[in-house]
Amino acid sequence: MKNKIYLLSMVLGLFILLSACSDNSDSTSSDGEGEDEVTLDVIWFSDGNEGEVFKEITDKYTEENPNIKFNIIDTPYDDLMTRIRTRVSGGDAPDLARISGVNHVQEALLDLSPYLEDKQAFLDEFVDVAIPTVERGDKIIGIPTDVTAHGLFYNKEHFEQAGVEVPQSTEDVWNWEEFKQALTQVKENSDARFALAYDLSPSRYSTLIYQNGGSIFSDDQQSLVINNSESVEALEYFKDLHDQELIPSSIWLGGENPNSLFRSGQAAMHFSGNWNIQSYEENADFEWGVTYMPEGSQRSSVAGGKQIVGFNDSEHKDAVADFLLYFSSQEVNAEFVKESSFLSTRADNAELDYEVRSEEMKVFADELAVTSELPTLDWENPNMPSVETLITENVQKVLSGDIEPQEAMDELVDNVELEN
Amino acid sequence: MKTRSWVPYAFLLPNMLIFGIFVGLPAIYGVYYSFTEWDGISSPVFIGLENFRHILTDPNFLDMLKRTFIYVVLVVPFTVISALGLAWLLTRKIKFANFFRTIFYLPVMISFIVIGLMWNWILQVDTGLINYLLSLISIDPINWLLDPVMANISVIIVTIWARVGFFMVIFIAGLQNISPTLYEAADIDGASDRVKFFKITFPMLKPITLLVIILSFIEFFKTFALVVSLTGGGPINSTKYYVQYTYDVGFNQGEFGVGSALSLILFIIMAVITLIQWKISDGGRV
Amino acid sequence: MTQNKKSQWLIYTILIILSVFMLFPVLWVLSSSLKSGTELFSWPPTIFPNDITFDNYISAFKEANFGRYLFNTVFVTIVATALTLIINTMSGYALAKFRFKGSTVILILFLSTLMIPLEALMIPMFVVLKTLGLYNSIWGIIIPPAATPTGVFLIRQYILSLPDEMIEAAKMDGANEWQVFMKVIIPLSAPVIATLTIFSVMWRWQDYIWPLIAISDTRLYTLELAIANFVGEYSVDWGPLLAMAVVTMVPMIIVFLFFQRFFVQGIMATGVKE
Repeated sequence: MKNKIYLLSMVLGLFILLSACSDNSDSTSSDGEGEDEVTLDVIWFSDGNEGEVFKEITDKYTEENPNIKFNIIDTPYDDLMTRIRTRVSGGDAPDLARISGVNHVQEALLDLSPYLEDKQAFLDEFVDVAIPTVERGDKIIGIPTDVTAHGLFYNKEHFEQAGVEVPQSTEDVWNWEEFKQALTQVKENSDARFALAYDLSPSRYSTLIYQNGGSIFSDDQQSLVINNSESVEALEYFKDLHDQELIPSSIWLGGENPNSLFRSGQAAMHFSGNWNIQSYEENADFEWGVTYMPEGSQRSSVAGGKQIVGFNDSEHKDAVADFLLYFSSQEVNAEFVKESSFLSTRADNAELDYEVRSEEMKVFADELAVTSELPTLDWENPNMPSVETLITENVQKVLSGDIEPQEAMDELVDNVELEN
Repeated sequence: MKTRSWVPYAFLLPNMLIFGIFVGLPAIYGVYYSFTEWDGISSPVFIGLENFRHILTDPNFLDMLKRTFIYVVLVVPFTVISALGLAWLLTRKIKFANFFRTIFYLPVMISFIVIGLMWNWILQVDTGLINYLLSLISIDPINWLLDPVMANISVIIVTIWARVGFFMVIFIAGLQNISPTLYEAADIDGASDRVKFFKITFPMLKPITLLVIILSFIEFFKTFALVVSLTGGGPINSTKYYVQYTYDVGFNQGEFGVGSALSLILFIIMAVITLIQWKISDGGRV
Repeated sequence: MTQNKKSQWLIYTILIILSVFMLFPVLWVLSSSLKSGTELFSWPPTIFPNDITFDNYISAFKEANFGRYLFNTVFVTIVATALTLIINTMSGYALAKFRFKGSTVILILFLSTLMIPLEALMIPMFVVLKTLGLYNSIWGIIIPPAATPTGVFLIRQYILSLPDEMIEAAKMDGANEWQVFMKVIIPLSAPVIATLTIFSVMWRWQDYIWPLIAISDTRLYTLELAIANFVGEYSVDWGPLLAMAVVTMVPMIIVFLFFQRFFVQGIMATGVKE
């Protein structure tokens, strides 16, 4: 019995000793910063290698501005908003953050217009679809860093086996009916288990709405029109592709990962976006390409995008603004998007030569070129955060056969109280 | 017990202090926020009982509450009984008891994020390991995560898988505390295993059993991380339970006032149920 | 005797079947973590890797600042567990063996904090942490979660079942309150202290949401934060994630095996005592 007590107290003593030692080492290590040195906290998330590219750029910036350092805080995407909100409302706003849509936090963001000589000239440097992502009233609350485009990946081996040709130019894009036939043929005549993997995402889903000439919000952005006939037809088509088992319903209803279906060669096509290029380049051991998405009454993609934003409560606003303008300059932006396989937000970087899959990037760029501003306006609508969850839910209800498409979309419109 | 009156307070002090500052205080803030409209960024605006009115008249809330209750009512007894059963088996004189204990405890050592992602992968209808193994013996694929009812069953199975080892260890500690002389006396009387279990083991374990029931009840009512990475709350919200619902309202929709009110309601529900359990068991002494 | 043997066999059969159920997902993770990027998602799946590769482990170690995170995690786990054991055992003892004004209220209060989903309180918790100057410090991860209600409750329920006579006897021998606690209560509570150690180590090792908001200096990251960073908006970096999951499991198994022994000693101690 006694022995145990001694053992216990010895172990405790050791803990305390250990903790005392490490405490010292901690406090000395954080004392290293001099008076004029500024460290900018950047909340960051990565899907591919863009984090490393960003690190290189910040290192270069630090070389030119030795008093500015960066603390890049890697954060899982799901907890990005949690971390930002907690810090902003707790009175410790970060200096910079990479985000995907400013809607959730726009109140807290730094307006860049006081730092710009000519606001309009600055905005004009960017492509049309990128501007609404950072312009709020007469404020510019961040810089668009890259745009994403939805598009269609296909497995060349499966299509050869089935003897199906994919559109080679913008002249011969499929219409919806031809697209469905192509999917049916490739499923029947190749080794593919599934014809099409379609991302579980309201934004990817909405591509069909725009292709059919519909939209989510009205042109003036004041009301919901997702229950009009163009949009409902899109949902009917989407349901039909599921009913014909061309798209496995396990994705939208069971959380199956569409990326793994495609990269393991089980799905002949993947309806997704340009951000997959790096990962497919590294992980897919078959020939693949990117082709044009089919057209309904028109061709359309959806432009998404990322922004880097500064915060109002930052203690180093000048440094933040200076870095943001540096990061959005043509040269730096080109480096960032090229090495990360992203599409540029800058009009003067529209034609870049990518080291990886340059041809495929051109198809994505073309998808964007034919896309109107409408999708971007819809997706930047301040009501979108609550609407998009309802889109997912109601589409799922339709796919599982609970309700009819028209009913589902009417119900959605009835359930939303629009603000503003 | 006769003692100077300040002694118990001195023993309580360190724990109370840390707890009061880091949990008690924020909880009071939380109560205040539940009466405000707040997006987590600009300053909160007092709006009285509006949040509660909004919540209690929302059919989605009532659906979610029902769902959460069904899940808890199913998962608690299954977990407690399996944990007790395992603990009982593993404190008998058997070989490799330590080995088996380690195996049953293994899942407890894996984080919920990894457990959820891993089982999501294993349970996939078209590409999952289990349906693949079933296909080898010509069994049709099971819609594990695809159908609302099956998805709930899957969540329950995975919850038990992940947590049974934790409660088993508490039971083992309790069983170790039962004096072997009681069993020896029973052996002399020629009592069977079953008699020994119901006449000695079970009565002696009552305080620990109550502990396990209360702990598991509270824990499962708050199930969050595991489900988020296993089903994401789907399909069509069929596995979205209370805390995920609250978290979505707060951090994803930016309605922190409503989120705080939801937390307060959850707190009241659980406090009432725990008090009832407490009264039934006479202050945990049984 | 034959009856006995039969039931022994039955027990082993049950245990083995259950073990397979418990074990196979873990083994699947282990086996998958040794596969290459293309084999990981191949169809039909390979049960064992065709080519064993440690690439995932290498890239996990390289991408994440593994050594640093490991040190942080070990440090947090050890210190926080020591703190938890001391303060929880003291409180649990006070609540089990003293009758005093407000004891029930305090107990209920402790218990009720278990019922608050901390996910909903993160913003006020962050404010408190920052006000006290513990934000972005390793002590900010260690101290706040140490006062675990579960631990207090666990210890209290266990000490309740210890006989009062032992305490009375010690006091007769002239022991003061602290000596009673150290020399009677602690040794008799060995099994439950071992249990709480196992739990606390595990809680701290896997703590995710609290370090996420309490720390923004990447030098102070823990392993669990690093694992979660493999999950992006569009994609999960499966290979390194699985490798990291395997690596973080190993120390837990060692701790469990080590402290399990104290359970067994617990029996022997009780045996001697009677």
